[in-house]
Parts: sequence; structure tokens; C-alpha cells
Amino acid sequence: MGFKYFLPLLLLSLLVANCASRPLYRLPSEAKHATKKPLQTSRPYNLAHRGSNGELPEETAPAYMRAIEEGADFIETDILSSKDGVLICHHDVNLDDTTDIADHKEFADRKRTYEVQGMNMTGFFTVDFTLKELKTLGAKQRYPFRDQQYNGKFPIITFDEYISIALDAPRVVGIYPEIKNPVFINQQVKWADGKKFEDKFVETLEKYGYKGSYMSEDWLKQPIFIQSFAATSLVYISSMTDSPKLFLIDDVTILTEDTNKTYAEITSDAYLDYIKPYVIGIGPWKDTIVPVNNNRLMTPTDLVARAHSRNLQVHPYTYRNENQFLHLEFNQDPYLEYDYWLNKIGVDGLFTDFTGSLHNYQELKSPLPQQQ
Amino acid sequence: MILTRCLPLIWLSLLTVCAAGRTLHPLPVKGPKTVKLQLQTSRPYNIAHRGSNGEIPEETTAAYLKAIEEGTDFIETDILSSKDGVLICFHDCILDETTNVASHKEFADRKRTYDVQGFNITGFFTFDFTLKELKQLRIKQRYAFRDQQYNGMYPIITFEEFLTIARDAPRVVGIYPEIKNPVLMNQHVKWPGGKKFEDKVVETLKKYGYGGSYLSKKWLKKPLFIQSFAPTSLVYISNLTDSPKVLLIDDVTMPTQDTNQTYAEITSDAYFEYIKQYVVGIGPWKDTIVPVNNNYVLAPTDLVKRAHAHNLQVHPYTYRNEHEFLHYNFSQDPYKEYDYWINEIGVDGLFTDFTGSLHNFQEWTSPLPDTSKSPRQLLSQIASLVLPYAKA
Repeated sequence: MGFKYFLPLLLLSLLVANCASRPLYRLPSEAKHATKKPLQTSRPYNLAHRGSNGELPEETAPAYMRAIEEGADFIETDILSSKDGVLICHHDVNLDDTTDIADHKEFADRKRTYEVQGMNMTGFFTVDFTLKELKTLGAKQRYPFRDQQYNGKFPIITFDEYISIALDAPRVVGIYPEIKNPVFINQQVKWADGKKFEDKFVETLEKYGYKGSYMSEDWLKQPIFIQSFAATSLVYISSMTDSPKLFLIDDVTILTEDTNKTYAEITSDAYLDYIKPYVIGIGPWKDTIVPVNNNRLMTPTDLVARAHSRNLQVHPYTYRNENQFLHLEFNQDPYLEYDYWLNKIGVDGLFTDFTGSLHNYQELKSPLPQQQ
Repeated sequence: MILTRCLPLIWLSLLTVCAAGRTLHPLPVKGPKTVKLQLQTSRPYNIAHRGSNGEIPEETTAAYLKAIEEGTDFIETDILSSKDGVLICFHDCILDETTNVASHKEFADRKRTYDVQGFNITGFFTFDFTLKELKQLRIKQRYAFRDQQYNGMYPIITFEEFLTIARDAPRVVGIYPEIKNPVLMNQHVKWPGGKKFEDKVVETLKKYGYGGSYLSKKWLKKPLFIQSFAPTSLVYISNLTDSPKVLLIDDVTMPTQDTNQTYAEITSDAYFEYIKQYVVGIGPWKDTIVPVNNNYVLAPTDLVKRAHAHNLQVHPYTYRNEHEFLHYNFSQDPYKEYDYWINEIGVDGLFTDFTGSLHNFQEWTSPLPDTSKSPRQLLSQIASLVLPYAKA
């Protein structure tokens, strides 16, 4: 019986001899797809922003596994690239805030200054390290007021490894990868055959069988949203994959990295009409949907209404439990914030650093109908 | 007709001419015409620690009203005294942290240093100000990371004013006053007739009709727990009132202010055997029940078990939403902390700065039995409870 599986495996491993890493097949012990609990689609999505990074360092395997344990619908990640073109999960273009790079004296001479989205940034950039070198680093918790006990313990993971975490989960868990800083990445990294960052990104997804439009049978088996702040990247890949895409929107003062457009422009009716054929929804920074003054909420804008009228979902970022992130109406209570956004504003998904809390809230207030 | 109404009033006002404040009668509009919703006694008590002070400055009328609105079972307060012997609601013996006394130049010369429980404390002490002077001050939010917008708006309230807040609430709301720093109060304030601080506290409670042992009919109408860190004060008043009392227990390093006993002593089985004749429960600092290391909770001590074995309730203090106060096991989530203390440790009441959050948690996870449902509604409610467990 082992032979039957061995041959195709052998063949495939020869084919991918050149790849930086082999495809990560689903472990046989986990191959009970038929009985996997499906993705819930009857209430707003619980999006584990960088994994359960309220508890564990962001974008590490344990952070994602904890998020899955805690009930996330989707695990979210940011895709950047190493020097040798391997797609990795990492949020910042530099390693300074979330790894122990500072302790690695052997890399001390790699500090650089680059222009990123119009600003000069100095640090250790992922694009200046090979995957092998990146793998010697240990991730650390970004915020000092969060648990520091896991600092230096977990490595940066690749896009492939992240996908396998989702596929090996005991229930259907969606992925939510971001095409991050594509302008910068394409400037710094060149792939064979003139392929671009976006091409490699989609290639990886296809390798693992991600396909199908939103809510299709294929999609429900392997749910995915592809997100990016760069609309041109999303438009570019729309001809390569029918997976649903989400257009991220930054703060009101930030221009888009690829088209230099203002917030006002990209949230205008005209732009929403333009982008609508390409994306399933938008992902704004929550304080632009409902502006804030003196840490109190002001009147909500009409952004959600205008998006919904175009059948565009709204997945705001980012919800955090700590009181310094909670506006005063919420009485330092993250559940009151969830209540406001889910029931008053009516969004379709929430990027949260605290998967467990959102899951608790949703289970208490809007439990899923049990299957008979 | 007006005259007949006036007569008892005039008579009463003559009687109370000496009192520092007149008796605050229930407002006619809030008269006892409708049946008030009863105190819930089927799940651990939600005790609004100093009112809803997560949102509004502590121990103000507004903080207590907000707590009642948010569903508290008991509003909690600390009783101290003014220079002229009026009982006030205030936590610290000094005014510095929670009032604007610093901006009152006319009081600048009132700064003093006193020995309080073995420590020298310097500041503006409540018992160096008459009530009239205290009433000129305004309260401010103690913690910088909480809402500062109400600073300077609300005055200190008297014990009597606090009692009327509970009395005038639209449902039965209990009170949980503390005989605070009685050793210090009795050192610095003298009452006529040789009365002590403890006498005045009980006197005031009786004036407003408080009495009755725990869960008695009388008690259920006006629920009350009297708390103190000083066991002798509680023993002393046990002759004056049968209202239930709770012994507060400080951190493991703090001896009692009146008897100089250690934490180990007053949490021993022998001591519980003794004190349980006088109190219905204990109120420990939560980090002594479940010790903490590197901001993680360790294995719980057996304090709750032993207290329960002596039929003593446990009401730990204090639960706060801010991550600065949440140990890492709770993922910066106050509801996880409530879940742990109510369901794993099994305490009987919780002193919380965030009444609304605790109320939410309890309403969602242990809603009170609704006695207003029709049989049909009850059946469908039972059906929905059973359904998740039905075999597929």
C-alpha cells in the first residue's frame, strides 16, 4: 500500500528539485477531509490578525495554531520575501521590532536605509537575508505589555508552512494572506523568468489547491481571501485566480503605495464602483469608518453603507483588548467594542489580535445553529 | 391638608435639629407603590467596587447610579469621617489622589503627616476638614488611563446620601459599606456621648431601616454586608446589629490594623473557627487566593475550600478590565478572568471596578431564571437548551 503513494511522491519531488522548499503535503494522519467541520458563514468572520498575537509572537506557527484552537474562521498573514525569493510570513519590511536580530552580531553589517512608501526607513530588511539566515532568527512579541515569555523561541515561517498549518487543522480554517509592500518587494527582489511577487504569490496558492470564487464548493473546502493595499496588484492577479480579493484601505493621510491616491479618492463612490468587479470587499482602518476625537467615537461615516450598497463586504482592522486601544465608550471592555461593531455598525468580518475573546463573544451572543 | 402633612415634618425637624444633616426621606415620586425587582441570590454577587469607577470617578453619586443602571447587586463604599464627625464615602484617608484639594489654596496649610497602620503618610486628611469644607472639593478619576472627563464635576457624598441612592433605586440594590481605618478614625475624631466610629456607622444604618440576618425577609428588602479589615470592629458591632458582616483580608505581608495579626494567623482554620461566629464571609485580595508569578497565576491555595468548609462566603477584590491588572493566563480578556474565578475557583461574590462587564458575563453565561415566561415559552426555552446535546 505504501508503494501506491510512494511513486507519485517520488515523481513530484523530482519535479520540484529546484524549489527552495518542497511542497508540504497534508499529513496522512490529518487526511480526514470528509468529516472536517466546515467554515461557518452565518455570522461575521473571526479573522485572527497575525494569529493569536495577543498571547504569542505574531505570525509564528504557535500563534496560528492557538488561533485555530481558539476558534478563528481565518488565520491572517502578511507575505513578504527573502533575499532569495522565498515567500515568508512577516508583517514589517524590517526585522527590528519583531525578531531578535539585534542579538545576532553576525548580521550587524546588514543594516540599511531604504525608501518605503515615500519614507526613509533604516533597519534590517527581510529582502537582505536569505531564507536560511532568516531561519536563524527568533520571533519576539512586538508589544512590551504582552507576554514576553516566548521571545526568541519561534522562527519566521514561510508561506508554504503557513498554508500547511491551515490545511492540517482539525476543521476547515480559511487563510487570509496579504500581498504586502509589493512595490518595495518587486524593487528589491527578482525572480526567475521575469516573474513578479504577485505571480509567485498566486503560484503558491495554486500549488496547494486554492481556487474557486467566494462561496463556491471549491472555496468552501479551502476558504481564502487575498488582501492588499495595492489595488493594481489585486487587479493584476484577477486574471490568474478567481479567489476572492479584499482591498485594504489605510489611514486618511496615507496615499496608496502603487497609485498615489488619497483616502478620499479610493473611498469615493466612483472608485468603489471601479474596484467592485475585482474585489469582494474592503478592509479599512476602523478609526476611519468611525472617526475618533479625544478617545471618544464621533458620528460614523457612511463608508459601510456605501460599501454594502455595492455588495462589498467590510472587514475593518484591528481590534485589540488592551485599554489603550479601546475608546472610552467601551469602558475598557473589548466585548463592548465587538458589540458596537457587529451590532451597531454591522461589519462582515473583524481583524482581531484576540481571537479567543471575539470567539467567546460570538459564541455567547450569536451561537451557531447546531447541525442536526 | 397641607398642614397635616407639615405637622409631622415640623415635629421631626425639631427632633433632628442637632444632627449634622437632616434625615433624607424618600421622594414622594419614588414612593413604594410598585413591587421592586428582588435581589438575585442564585449566582455570585456583582459588587460594584466604589461604584462603576472604571468609567466615572469613584464613590460619587454618578458612579453609583451608573453601577445600578449596569445591573450591580451591591454598591460598595468606604466610610471615613470628617472633622466634625460626619460619616462620608471616601476610600483614602487622604484627599490627594482623588480630589482637587491641591488647587484649593485656602487649604494649603492643612497638610499633615500621621502614622497610619505603622506608615507615615503625608497629605490632606479627611478628618482635618469639616463636611462643609469637604463639600467644596471635587472628585477626580484616580487612574490616568481612565476617562478624565468628569474630573471636577462631582462632590464627596455622605454615608446618608449613599444610603438614599440605594433606597431610591428602581429595584432592590444592596449596600456594602466598609468600616474603614477605624483605629485612625477613633484616634482623630470624637463623637458626643462617648460614641465610637463603629457606633455611628451602625446608628446610621439603623436609621435607614437596615437590619436582619443574612437572607432573612428583612435583609432581602434591604440587603447589606458590613465589611472591615479590623476584626475587633466587626466583633464589637455584632452586639449592635445582626446584619451580615465580612472580614476583609489584606496582602500576605500586612498585619491587621487593630490586632496586629499576620495573614497566616487570620486565614488559619483555628481563626475561621473563631471568626465565623461573627462574619458570614471573608474578602481577600485575589492574588493571595491564587498566587502570581511573572504575571501568571500559579496553583490556587486552599483558602476558598477551607472558607467554604466553614460556611464562610468568599468575596475577593478587585477585578479590573485593564490589561495592567490582568494576568497573562487571561489573554488581556476580563471575561476570561471572571470565568476563572466564578467557574474554576468558585467564589461567592466579586468586587469589580467594571460592573457592566461582570454583569454582561453573568447574563450571558448564567442568566437568571425568568419567572415571567409562559409555559409554552418555557418549553421552547428548554428545547433550545437541549438541542445542542441531541445526537446527530
